[in-house]
Amino acid sequence: MLLHILDGQLRLPLDVCLRWARAFREWYQRPSTREARGLKLLREWLSSEQLAQYDAHGYFDVTGCHSGKRYRIRYGTATNVYELDYAGHAKLGWCFMPREYLVAGDVMLAQKIALETDECAALAVAKNFAPR
Amino acid sequence: MATLIVMNHNGDTRHNFDAEDARALLKAEKRFKELTRAGFTAATRTASGEPVVTRTFDPTAEETLFFPRLVGG
Repeated sequence: MLLHILDGQLRLPLDVCLRWARAFREWYQRPSTREARGLKLLREWLSSEQLAQYDAHGYFDVTGCHSGKRYRIRYGTATNVYELDYAGHAKLGWCFMPREYLVAGDVMLAQKIALETDECAALAVAKNFAPR
Repeated sequence: MATLIVMNHNGDTRHNFDAEDARALLKAEKRFKELTRAGFTAATRTASGEPVVTRTFDPTAEETLFFPRLVGG
């Protein structure tokens, strides 16, 4: 009986607390405005094929303008560019990014433009690494 | 309305200008030169949407995007 009364009295504050906790979690995990702005810009500059690939897999492929090689750009700000082999597997990682701190969407867009318009210059500054 | 989009730590900053206005055009060209001199790469898009790096100010470009010099990680 006592437990039953206590249960009824505690349920309401517990519900409120849970709602607050859920709201706080959503607020805390929301993408920041600048992060969202970077991703919006990236989406505007991706080709329709790249955008579809990014939406489906979280990465997109670009073709190097000089070599014709395929590269995969994953979400991130560093060690996120991979050279692909003929079968589409990552065979070598390339690490390069803008000198100033930028959000992920901006970094990925700069990497895409660099590989599609001046691949040799991008790779000249990049450091390579073994893909994971 | 044309736009210069400059990537920065806040995402980006957009500078809109009227390409029909001679003074606004001059100001935009000055900003273009300052940014490229500071090491930014400028890119525009072709009609089919492919990015093109440009070394000179294109007053007809709807959007010109600037990103900082690339470095190895």
